[in-house]
Parts: sequence; structure tokens; C-alpha cells
Amino acid sequence: MSSISQSSPFRTLASLRLTVVCLGFGMVLVFLGTLAQVNLGIHAVQARYFQSVFIFWSPPGAHWRIPILPGGYVLGTVLLLNLLAAHATRFQFSRKKVGIILLHFGVILLLVGQLLTGLFARETQMRIDEGQTLGYSEAPREIELAVIDGSDPNFDQVVSIPERLLARGGTIQNQTLPFTLRVRQFLPNSRLEMRSQDQQAPPSLATNGVGTSIIVSEIPRTVKDDERDMSAAFVEINSAQGSLGTWLVSNAVSESQPFTVNNHTYNLIMRQRRYYKQFALTLLHFAHDRYAGTDIPKNFSSRVHLTDLERGENREVLISMNDPLRYRGFTFYQAGFDKNDKTTILQVVRNPAMLLPYIACGLVALGLIIQFSMHLFGFVKKRNQ
Amino acid sequence: MRVRKCINQYLWLLYHLPFRVGKPFFLGNGILPQKSATRGGGKQPKRLFARGLPPGCGPLDFSWLRQVVRSALKTFLVFRPAAISLLTAILLVSAGCGPGDDKITVYRIPKETQPTAPQESVADNSGAAPDVHWKAPSAWEEQPATGFRKGSFLVRGANGETADVSVISFPATAGGLLANVNRWRDQLKLAPISNEAEAGTPTKVDGHDMFFVDLVSEQPMSASGSKSRILGGIFPISGATWFFKMAGPDELVGSQRETFQAFLQSVQVAEGSAIPAPMSANIGGNNTNAPTPPPLEAPKSASLGYSLPAGWKEKPLSPMRLASFSAASPNGKEADVSVVSLPATAGGDLANVNRWRGQVKLPPIDEDTLAKSAQRIQANGHDYLMVDLVSDAPIDEQQGKQRILAAILDENGQAWFIKMTGEEATVDAQKSAFVDFLHGLKIP
Repeated sequence: MSSISQSSPFRTLASLRLTVVCLGFGMVLVFLGTLAQVNLGIHAVQARYFQSVFIFWSPPGAHWRIPILPGGYVLGTVLLLNLLAAHATRFQFSRKKVGIILLHFGVILLLVGQLLTGLFARETQMRIDEGQTLGYSEAPREIELAVIDGSDPNFDQVVSIPERLLARGGTIQNQTLPFTLRVRQFLPNSRLEMRSQDQQAPPSLATNGVGTSIIVSEIPRTVKDDERDMSAAFVEINSAQGSLGTWLVSNAVSESQPFTVNNHTYNLIMRQRRYYKQFALTLLHFAHDRYAGTDIPKNFSSRVHLTDLERGENREVLISMNDPLRYRGFTFYQAGFDKNDKTTILQVVRNPAMLLPYIACGLVALGLIIQFSMHLFGFVKKRNQ
Repeated sequence: MRVRKCINQYLWLLYHLPFRVGKPFFLGNGILPQKSATRGGGKQPKRLFARGLPPGCGPLDFSWLRQVVRSALKTFLVFRPAAISLLTAILLVSAGCGPGDDKITVYRIPKETQPTAPQESVADNSGAAPDVHWKAPSAWEEQPATGFRKGSFLVRGANGETADVSVISFPATAGGLLANVNRWRDQLKLAPISNEAEAGTPTKVDGHDMFFVDLVSEQPMSASGSKSRILGGIFPISGATWFFKMAGPDELVGSQRETFQAFLQSVQVAEGSAIPAPMSANIGGNNTNAPTPPPLEAPKSASLGYSLPAGWKEKPLSPMRLASFSAASPNGKEADVSVVSLPATAGGDLANVNRWRGQVKLPPIDEDTLAKSAQRIQANGHDYLMVDLVSDAPIDEQQGKQRILAAILDENGQAWFIKMTGEEATVDAQKSAFVDFLHGLKIP
């Protein structure tokens, strides 16, 4: 047993030197990540620098890439292991160390909580017009290709294909669909224009639907925080009878495009990815209060009606800026408004690890208080003697 | 050998833990492990909670925890290659956006009554746009609006040449001003520009920013050997960008320049969507968490004191107004009275008077004429400049001549405007009440 704790890899893992190295890398990471936001935007930086294993660099023009820095996940994991190992070798329980132990346990919890948040938290948005009822939220930066079978009079069957599968290309099939979809081209961000504007443009891949009269050109993905990509894809539909044609789909085109296979009509639409809920919200009224005589906003609030058939919930809720609605693990914050105060935008956050940072910070604070007051009382006692 | 040692460790734990749970397992034998006791300098073993612990319970002993952690680490070290690859695999998987991200999902939803499209519809074939209106010159031939086009016109030249006018709206910024101007430059085989300032001439139309663009190709573009030209107007309006464009042969488009500019000036944005969006408001909507500007113009109405003349009624406040009234005259018509305060002199008295003159279709005047025509009145200790403007002819067919009666006060870096607007007869009947109101007005 002692041989393990004295073995050299273990000692390295538990060493303070490793902690310092990790924290140093962390500082570099935060610094570089902050600089990179200029060119990449905050969302890409978060994914590439902090929610990643390594930071890669590829020489200009090259297709390969080399890891140059450990990413946020590696640093977090190493720090966690370092802290655990340090405790394993040096752990001794005594009354004097209660504060330090609590403090360290708080830091461990913070690290674990952040990892869980990175893995499982999801932020989406709900845009509801006054009087509208919505049972889903949308991911503002994620798209899906939805194939909707509306032949049943009571419900729509939706097959949702996520962006990653489209980006991968190739043939996509699903047992509920009597046909396959072949992604002929996927453009993460694109510009659409009417073909009539430029007669010399090369012919479109699309043979059916609205895509025949549209020219699509690829543009770099947006890095701005307040912009979203307009993705586009050319999708060929192949049934047992052969190819039905190629359609252009894009989240810039808000109408679905119908096609028929085996006397079933399907609708094809690319849109922001939807997450359906077991309940629905109806916006009764959005209020945008201003200070009297000025245009300065005083308060934003949404009066919504919550309907949950499964749980029999049927009530009105007022969501205002620091007073979100918490229901079934989701938190609905007032995030924005549109259409001259007739539309509310709610940020919908689902984070199973939501409580961990609070508990962790509480533990750290408690540990610090205990530690410092112990020192203080000891000092005062000594002086009084 | 190491593996066996490790397995033994686990077996030890498995064997001991249940027993320890049976007796409170975290409580040891009352004495701390020897190691820590000796560190105290060979003193008597320290007792934790020497007083006040329930009988039968020893002090806390966490050696079992140490045991657990050590065994875990030991396993990690023994199975290093396997453990590292497992850890890497977990990290790699987690580098994605969470579990189940690559999977196709199938679900059933109740029939959706109407397609709820959060963005502005681009492929909307409805033709006329809901928010933006324009007036096309009569010489232009209206074409059916198709696909992206909200409006489409054909302009015929003298020698059979034609130019195409299109009105298109894209949700959000459609790439921004520069990208769109470069797209047009590309259509004319012109080199792209990188400076946004060169992209277009900013002007105002109906109170909104508009970028006017005039581009001519350097080489002939058509079979007949003529150069091509594009005139464009780009409007970023509340979550959408509107493009007005005329494209065609240089001579024809050049001759239509004035007409096209008049066409741009005719564009009206319906009340309601009148929040001008920056060129990059692609997400759409306004953020309620955006920093609020400091309340420089915090409500001052609280300290505004006045007494209401007979026949005046308070009206709900609107932005800018500190007080708002309607003054009814015996003939049943109403005049509007407002009290507005702005920092400093808000452009000067002359600029404001000329703005009001414009409202009643009177030509602007200069400083001297203002000094001659305006009168000064003393009321409640303040020195007001008072102007009385009557339109030369009825402005609206249903109404008589319009009249503006206004008092301006510049005091302590703040300008105050008390203004009555209405039909001439109504304002005339209320003039004495207006002066009474000034006398009763307490300005903080």
C-alpha cells in the first residue's frame, strides 16, 4: 500500500507542482480563449477551448491538425485527479483541518458540477406570440431536418435528423420511412438568392421544390453572438422505385416542401432543432413597462398559461426578469421580446447539475469561515494569555 | 503480482465494510491512527471530541475513506493503459454536445394548426409585405411577386432595353451590408471592397437608416456591349433586411436614378416594427438582459406642478412627454398639449421653431425674424419665449388651418417645451387657458 502512494507516477499525480502547472495552463487557456473570441465568437470558443480535450492548430492550408494545448476537459479532469490523489496521500483527519477539507470538497464538487453541466445542460428558446400556444422549445444554434408524415388525421409523425448526420453526408435511413435520404451537399452557412438575379449561375443540384429557383453559395460560419447560420442542404430522396428528385432545404426557407411516396405525403423542412415538452405554454400577455415619460425599460414580464394534461396542471404564471418559472426540471427565464412587444422570448434551461455549484460554493465559504475563524480565535487566545 | 494485490485490497474492503456498517463503521476504536498520534511529538494519543461524545462511540476515523480512494487509484495505476484509454474515450464522447446527439429521433405530436415560423417568411408568396410599403412610379410595370420577391417591376427604356426592379426581404441581416454590396459588385465583375464606409451612402428614409448603393461595371456586360449598373437601397429594419434593387444597362438605369431614389423615399415602415435593428441582429428579437442605459431622464413628472385649466384633461403619458393634456373647445374639437423637457437647448430655439413651422407647412425663418415675431412672457418667475404659428392653408382636408402655440424655456441646462397643437379655432379658444397654465406651471 505504501509502495503505491510512494510510487513516482502517483507522487507526480498528487504533487502541488502539477496543480500549479494545471492552473498555469488554465490561465493561458482563458487568455487565448478570450483573444480568440474576436475571430471565432463566444460559442465556437466555448466548444473549442473549454469544452474540448485538446486545442488543435493546423498550419494554414493544411488538412491535418496538431494538438497544442490541453483543453478544458483535460485540465479539469487532471485537477480533479490531482486533488483526489493529494488527499489520498496526505489525508489526515483532525479538527484543525475541518475547514480545509470542507473547502477542498467544495472545489471537487465545483469541478464535477461543471463537467456535468457541460455534458448535460441544454439551453433552448421559446418564441411565443401573444395568444399562441407552444409545446416545444428551439435550439437557437442547432438545426434539424424534419420529415413530417401528416397522413394521420390525429397526429403528425416527425422524423428529426440532427445537423451532425447531415454534415456527415451519405445516406440516411430510418425504419419508419419507406425511403432513404442522400445528402448530396451540406452548407453550414449559406447565402440564398433568386436565380432570376443572376442568369449565369451554375445549375442547381435541386430538381424539385423551391430550390430550383434559388442559387445557394457557401459563406463562412458566423462568429457573431447575435447572428445565426443559415444552413442549407441538397437532399435526394430515393424510394424503392428509384430517385424522386433532389430538394433544397434551408432554415432560411420557412415553408415545408411536400413530396409523395406510396400515396403518403411527407413534408420536408429544415428548421431550428425542436425539443418537444410534455406541457404547453400559451402567452397571454407580454408587458414592457417603461419609466414614466421615458423610453427606459423598467420591467419585462410574460403572463403565460401552463397546461400539462399528464399532471393536470392548468394555471397562469407570471414570468418576469428575475422571477423565472421552474417546472419539470426546466427553468423559463424572460430573455427577450420581438414584434413590437407582441412576442416574448423565453430562455429554457435544463440543467440536472444546477444545484451543485451552489452547494460547492456554500461548502467553500463554510470551509474558509471555519479555517479563518479558527486562526483568528487561536490568535486572540494567544494574545490574551 | 500487482493485480493480485489489488484484488486482495478490494476483497478486504468487501469483507470489512459490512461489519463496519453494522457497528457505526466510521467510528474507530477511540484512538487516532498511530501515525498522526506520533506526529504530535510523542504525546499521548489525541482524542477527538474527548468530552460530549455518546458513550460507546470513539472519535471519527476516516481511514476507510482513504482505503477506498487508495484502492481506486491503485487500480488506476495497475490497469493504467486500460484506464487511460477508458478515460480518453469518456472525454472524447463528452467532447460532443451530450448523449444521443447523432441519433435520428422519431416522435408524434398533435396536429399543428398553423406552421409556426419564428423567422420572417422568406419564401412567402403573399406578395405584399406586412410591415413595409412603397409607392412605385406609374411608368414601371408591376410584375407578379414570386419566391423571395415581395415586389417586382419592369422598367422599359426607349430602345427596347429593360431594367429589373426587385424588393426582397431576408430575415435578419442576410450577411450584413458589406457582404451584400460585395455580392452585387461580384455580379458586375467588380473587385470586392473591405471598407464598410465605401459600401454605400447612408441616408434616412421614414426615420430609418438606409444605405444607397450605385454600382457600374467596368467592362461591357451584355451582348449589345453596354455596361451594367445596379442601384440599390438596403434597409435594416427590426429583425429583417429589405433590399430594393434596380439592375440593367448603364444608360437606362442611370436615367432612372432620380426615379429610383424617389421610389426609395416612398418606402414607409408601418408603425410597430419601427425599431431600427443594427445590421447584425440575425437572431431576431431584443434582449431584455442587455445593459440598460443609465436613467438620465429619470421621471421628472413627479416634481412637475401644475393646475389644470377648465376643459383640459390629462392624457396617458407617452415617451418623452412629462405631461400630456387634451384641451376641448366649445365646438367639441380637441387640441393636444404637451410638456417635454430635454437636456441643454436641444438644438436651439430657432431649430425647434423651424421644425414646428415645418409641421404647419410654413417656410423656415432666420434668427432676426424669430426675434421679431416671437414674444416673451413672464410666468411664475420664468421667462418664456412664445411662438404662435398658423398654417397658410388647411393641412388636412377634413380639418381647418393648423395652429401651434408653444412656449420655450431654457433654464439650468435644461430646455422645456410647452406646446399646444390643434385646429386654428380650437387653439384660439384655448389660448388664454394656455397662458393661465404657464402661470400655474411649477418647473423644478
